Amino acid sequence: MSTNAQEIDNLIGQKYKEGFVTDIEVDTFPPGLDEEVIAKLSAIKGEPAFMLEYRLKAFRHWQTMTEPDWAQLNIEPIDYQAISYYSAPKKDSDKPQSLDEVDPKLLETYKKLGIPLDEQERLAGVAVDAVFDSVSVATTFKGKLHDVGVIFCPISEALKEHPELVKQYLGTVVPETDNFFAALNAAVFTDGSFVYIPKGVRCPMELSTYFRINAANTGQFERTLIIADADSHVSYLEGCTAPMRDENQLHAAVVELVALENAVIKYSTVQNWYPGDENGVGGIYNFVTKRAECRGANSKVSWTQVETGSAITWKYPSCVLIGDNSVGEFYSVALTNNYQQADTGTKMIHIGKNTRSTIISKGISAGKSQNTYRGLVKVGKNAENARNYTQCDSLLVGDKCGAHTFPYVEVKQPSAQVEHEATTSKISEDQLFFCQQRGLSAEDAVSMIVNGFCKQVFKELPMEFAVEAQALLGLSLEGSVG
Amino acid sequence: MSAEQVKSQYPAEYGKVEALLPGQSVSWLNVLRKQALASFSSQGFPSLREEEWRYTNVSAIEKKLFSPVVLAEIGAVDTDWLNTYRLENTCSVVLVDGHFSETLSDLDGLSESVRVLDMAGALEQYPEDLEQYFGQAVSHEEHSFVAFNAAWFTDGLFIHVPAKEILSKPVQVIHVVTQADYMSNTRHIIVIDDMAQAEVIETFIGCDESYLSAAVTEVFIGKNADLTLYKLQLEGEKAYHFGGTYVKQDADSRFKHHNFAFGGLLARNDIRTDLGLASECELNGLYLGIKRQHIDNHTRINHLKPHAISRELYKGVLDQRARGVFQGRVVVAEDAQKTSSEMNNRNLLLSNDAEADTKPQLEIYADDVKCAHGVTVGQLDEKSIFYLQSRCVDEETARNMLTFAFANEMVEKIKIKDLHDQILEQLLVRFPQEGIEQEWL
Repeated sequence: MSTNAQEIDNLIGQKYKEGFVTDIEVDTFPPGLDEEVIAKLSAIKGEPAFMLEYRLKAFRHWQTMTEPDWAQLNIEPIDYQAISYYSAPKKDSDKPQSLDEVDPKLLETYKKLGIPLDEQERLAGVAVDAVFDSVSVATTFKGKLHDVGVIFCPISEALKEHPELVKQYLGTVVPETDNFFAALNAAVFTDGSFVYIPKGVRCPMELSTYFRINAANTGQFERTLIIADADSHVSYLEGCTAPMRDENQLHAAVVELVALENAVIKYSTVQNWYPGDENGVGGIYNFVTKRAECRGANSKVSWTQVETGSAITWKYPSCVLIGDNSVGEFYSVALTNNYQQADTGTKMIHIGKNTRSTIISKGISAGKSQNTYRGLVKVGKNAENARNYTQCDSLLVGDKCGAHTFPYVEVKQPSAQVEHEATTSKISEDQLFFCQQRGLSAEDAVSMIVNGFCKQVFKELPMEFAVEAQALLGLSLEGSVG
Repeated sequence: MSAEQVKSQYPAEYGKVEALLPGQSVSWLNVLRKQALASFSSQGFPSLREEEWRYTNVSAIEKKLFSPVVLAEIGAVDTDWLNTYRLENTCSVVLVDGHFSETLSDLDGLSESVRVLDMAGALEQYPEDLEQYFGQAVSHEEHSFVAFNAAWFTDGLFIHVPAKEILSKPVQVIHVVTQADYMSNTRHIIVIDDMAQAEVIETFIGCDESYLSAAVTEVFIGKNADLTLYKLQLEGEKAYHFGGTYVKQDADSRFKHHNFAFGGLLARNDIRTDLGLASECELNGLYLGIKRQHIDNHTRINHLKPHAISRELYKGVLDQRARGVFQGRVVVAEDAQKTSSEMNNRNLLLSNDAEADTKPQLEIYADDVKCAHGVTVGQLDEKSIFYLQSRCVDEETARNMLTFAFANEMVEKIKIKDLHDQILEQLLVRFPQEGIEQEWL
């Protein structure tokens, strides 16, 4: 057992290990946002005209909006004019054609992060699109994916090569007027991933995007669009990190998923943006709009998220279940420590008949953090035999933290069956005692109990991510045990 | 919305009744009424944009402009009709159109030391005593209905049970509204001193026309004291109802609330309790909605001190175009370690047009707690219906039996036999089961 204890000691001793800064030449816009900046941004990206129009429309609408304040969050006011809306590694002008041309420093960065960018590491079997600040730097396994007809590329590239596809779907799930942060994202998003799985194709490997904020005073606004055509299947992973800085940085992403008839999309996130130090200084403000539409009958979307980073998380991955018999799932582990604040949850909108949804949310609060589950289950008039099961459990570690549960249930259909259960408790002293009595140290016991508490969600994660997620949990709980 | 926009037309009418409201000579009350009026004038009635009111639209109350009733206008009450709601073996207090009626009330048999009297009278006799309590359990800043009530109340009831006294029989407070467009605004204060015990029943009835009945009750329960409060809301089917019960519980006290909301076109009920050290509270509720009824129940339990226990169960049956709203919020303060809290809300939807909106909430700032909440929305179990049909019960009766059983759980919790029977009768009218032996009830 002693080796195990030592491992955990090592783990707990670790600081935020992704907190380094990569020193490379970058092109960065001066801070500020107006129509000119958007036009310039659009021009650099070489976007079709409809995109600029779309962005300006979003920007004009954004100016009329105010930040939402209903969340259980305490947010320092954000000065949107003090943020730079574009930052890219300088060599972007002559975009790398192959990995050899990618700036070695960038590759080093991703190596440090443990991302298998080199195609040599085929064993990992994961196709990666890496987004560094505002641009996508490399996408692996392109050829292999191309053979089966899967399009997996940066969204900026998709805009050039498949403008009609992007135009058809962009903003149809999350319209540019949806909310404050979605509007801002629509106006200034710089890159992100685009995935199209053609009819009847089962994507041969996991697709993955790694997001990294590097430059100071920049915001990251990425946009992900995944379209799973009829009878297709895709599993997509997303990871995020950022350097340690004293200022707060803004991250406002939009993710849109479209599942057509019989399609299955599995979307997994391990979010590990820099959470700020133990005094609550710095950290990423993470305001993300994620929504999936199950448009076709029998389609299925499954969200799995492990949220351990960010000073503030404001994120509600949702499923709009339009197609009959469609299925929405949400599995979440949200861990907050020190002064982190998380207000996260999901929305399940049942519109089609026989639609089903499952929500499993596990919140762990430690230190002086506040962790909120906020969810909506809405069953429309025509959603006959809709079924929802929701379970929200919160675990409290330490006596200065808060755990809150705010579910909303709205049902307009009598044949619907909706269940919600929530519990909040601390780690049971009996359980701790039992483990210690069997020779485990207090830290081991806590780590084991916490992992057990999250197991229901971890088992939904792809293998590599599950390992990473467990390691992250140990790391984030640092200093909160005992 | 511009700042100049008139939020409500009620304040303009205030001058007409101002001089006729009780407690004119009480200076603290005058100040309080002024503040409440100012607060209401600036906000108007709550709008759907407010989180606590997102499912309940009260704009009709604003449009109707109900008028407060002054003493001279009180309508006549059909005593036979009234007596069908009167419970035996209780002291009864009748408030007609928001005013205490001495002739209809019956306060015999109470101990000398217990005070049960009308608010207007109490304000004259014991203004200092009331000052300690009035507005202490709920401030008019809670929301604008409370402010509205504080500014406009015409009467109410003051109940004071001194220390160690056990009330010999329950007190029934019957609110009656007699005519269309009337507004009854009452304010009650119930004080149960240390180690005392009491049971109070609030009954709300009225005519078949559109009217507003608003009652705010402030309750103070002393150390190790015990209060059970029953509320039976049987307003007319075009009526608007607002009821607010705000409780402060001292150490080791016990509070039980049984809330039956059957009537009204739009009914909103707020209950809030602040729990002291090792105190207990139990909130039970049953709401039956039919036609276009909208019934909203909001509860809030504040665990402020350690070792307190709260239990809550609300059940709803919604038929036709009815809409039921439930919000239950449990807040556990940082100090309130060893809290135990359970909340449940169960809804039965009987028709395609019925709707249930429910929002159970946990807000927890302490770590050594056990809190849980659960919600279900669903319909009757088809297998159970089939089973009953296989035993020669026709489908409609089978459905009624099962719905009745679902609702009856809440009625079973009533400890006062007459009240139990009265509510049971209401249920049986609603869910008739002809040919079924009722004796087991």
